[in-house]
Amino acid sequence: MNSSRDLYALLLFSCVAGYAYLFYSVSLVEAGHGTFCLFKNISGMACPSCGSTRAVIALFQGRVSDSFYYNPLGLIIASMMLISPIWITRDLLRKQESFFIRYRKFEKWLAKPIVYLPAMLLILANWAWNIIKGL
Amino acid sequence: MEPHKVDMFVMTNSKFFESHQIPLIRERLVQSDDSKWIPLQSIQFKDPTISLIVSLLGGHFGIDRFLIGDVGLGIAKLITCGGLGVWTIVDWFLIMGTTRDKNLDKIHEVLY
Repeated sequence: MNSSRDLYALLLFSCVAGYAYLFYSVSLVEAGHGTFCLFKNISGMACPSCGSTRAVIALFQGRVSDSFYYNPLGLIIASMMLISPIWITRDLLRKQESFFIRYRKFEKWLAKPIVYLPAMLLILANWAWNIIKGL
Repeated sequence: MEPHKVDMFVMTNSKFFESHQIPLIRERLVQSDDSKWIPLQSIQFKDPTISLIVSLLGGHFGIDRFLIGDVGLGIAKLITCGGLGVWTIVDWFLIMGTTRDKNLDKIHEVLY
């Protein structure tokens, strides 16, 4: 992302789409609907982020341990969905770029091997856990 | 820079950029001085075709975005199941253009 406008537009759009998808799936999760996940539909195996919709829904319903069991990544998604629209709106109102600056710093921080190697291992471990759980 | 050097550079690297950007790059390179030549030669451009292949195979996990250096978006793609599969498919069509834009940014970093 080269400009804050592109990033903010993309994130706000994703948040709106995410909330719409949450409302759509709240009623369908109990009915045991299928998944949009390309990887799971093709291979039949869970992908690293399978279960995160259920995790976000469980978190918003206050079932924190269930949410963690479904997928710990749900916590990150839920916090991004809650924080980023507020932060971006504040930036847009004040004509600042604080979110964009923080995003750039985060990207630089993540480019260090000491950070991305453990992060990759965690994602892989979580994926293995997803497959074992049979999500 | 001497025009024949610039022409050689443009010929060998034209696949890394959008066709409409090439005249501008050429003009800018001719105007810049010779001290930029070595840093310019040492830039490692990303191949748009490779990024398309990676996007087709690993786009669902955001690997294409990691490859071109959009780490933040790569993570977003990874943890949202490739944007519920929609972003994955959109990126099959956008990733080549985005890679070329990233290559242009690399040239800008050297020249300015």
